[in-house]
Amino acid sequence: MARKTVLIDTSLCTGCKACSVACKAWNELPAEKTQLLTSYQTQSAFTTKTWTYMTFVEKYEDQKMNWLMRKAQCFHCADPACMKACSSNAITKTESGYVVIDQEKCIGCGYCVENCPFGVPKVDLIKKKSYKCTGCIDRVENNLLPACVHTCQPGALSFGERDAMLAQAKKRLVEVQKTHPKAQLYGENEMGGMTYLYLLLDSPEIYDLPVKPTVPLSLTLWKDVIRPVGTVAVGGAAAAVVLGVFANLFRGNYGNSDNKEGGRD
Amino acid sequence: MALKMETRNQMPKRIIEDKVLRFSAGERLSHWVHAISFFVLLFTGLGVLSTSFQPAMAIFGGIQVAQLIHRIAAVFFVVVVGLMFFVGNPRYHWRWLKFVFSFKKSDWQHVCAFPKEFFGGHGNYPEQEKYNGGEKINSLITIFGTVFITLSGVVMWFSSSFPPALVRWAYPVHDLSMFIMTAAAIGHIYLGLLHPDSRAAMSGMINGYVSTKFARAHHREWYERLKKEQSMNEQKNV
Repeated sequence: MARKTVLIDTSLCTGCKACSVACKAWNELPAEKTQLLTSYQTQSAFTTKTWTYMTFVEKYEDQKMNWLMRKAQCFHCADPACMKACSSNAITKTESGYVVIDQEKCIGCGYCVENCPFGVPKVDLIKKKSYKCTGCIDRVENNLLPACVHTCQPGALSFGERDAMLAQAKKRLVEVQKTHPKAQLYGENEMGGMTYLYLLLDSPEIYDLPVKPTVPLSLTLWKDVIRPVGTVAVGGAAAAVVLGVFANLFRGNYGNSDNKEGGRD
Repeated sequence: MALKMETRNQMPKRIIEDKVLRFSAGERLSHWVHAISFFVLLFTGLGVLSTSFQPAMAIFGGIQVAQLIHRIAAVFFVVVVGLMFFVGNPRYHWRWLKFVFSFKKSDWQHVCAFPKEFFGGHGNYPEQEKYNGGEKINSLITIFGTVFITLSGVVMWFSSSFPPALVRWAYPVHDLSMFIMTAAAIGHIYLGLLHPDSRAAMSGMINGYVSTKFARAHHREWYERLKKEQSMNEQKNV
């Protein structure tokens, strides 16, 4: 299956939160007790049972309020830090661009939680499993729209082939920039290009998103340098010991009575 | 009373006939607690190092049990050896630190001759104190490795109490410490058990004593110092 993309056009979003309800319904995730945090926002972070939620920012400019809304979920990065961090090869990336966790393989170590630049995966401490948005891959692979896209009334969410979605996003951007000059795309190139592509009305930091999200340097150093070099070092030490035993045998050092007492004055 | 104080302050008799006391009971306890817990930690940690080790975690009763044992062993690894620096007779532990942190030219010369010795040859190096240059390096690896693996381990254990940026760095630090300590341990075990010339040192970690022959051959500077101190003490007592 070719690369898919979900375009989230925040200029069309009304903040109705139907997407988060549809997500819970399809994925059979129980509701959680929430409270009003700021503006219309009721959730501050992902949980093992909440894979998508709405963020609201009230930005005041020239006596005018800009109400910035964003549907948050896993971005499904093309270069996913969670997958690189996973200790158990439980996280994989599909050809269609989805990053999925295999809960059978997951041991709940939490390395994905700490390394995701967006704080997406969450570990259930009882079940010892990590959970996040699946992108409704079970629907997508059966030619159904993702639950959130399917339910979106104002048409803020659209799903399709990556090229088509990118073209649509760029066309919309020109339009939106007439009223929101700071509007920009987020996810075209970030993290290798993300399956969930945003048309934001303002710069990413206003939405509390990292401007230049990257795979953490510590993760690259850990998996690409320390792991291979360390393995060679331990293997080298073991090889040196084997060589040492043979060298001593060859030199006849084991039969030398002087050595028994640790001698040779 | 005064007499008793005097005897207690005396250096214990280190050379007894053909044997020299090298390690106190406390030092031996610390060594073996460290060694055993290190290997328990290493083996229970293998499951998160590579998936190829995950089936082997069945030995411990599954990877979740292995992770629990890892945490229990970590407490022993840190607390028991840490306490030995403060309770009982901690003087020897602090002396060990003083020894290994004074790295001299003669230590460096031993390190340079060490590869030759390792493979059964005979390298030239000056007379050594209680710890030779190689032993000092092994000790330093143990000290710094333990400190870094402990600090990073605490951050990983209580990850929700630390900022993600710090937790992310704890992983490579924990792994790097493990790799260096494991490589050092492999060489250390070889020298203690399999190396024909140095394995005579093993008894020092079992009953505390090494042969005078070994002491003279490997740590002459130390042996001569002990001999001098002992004879001075004997003269004082006479």
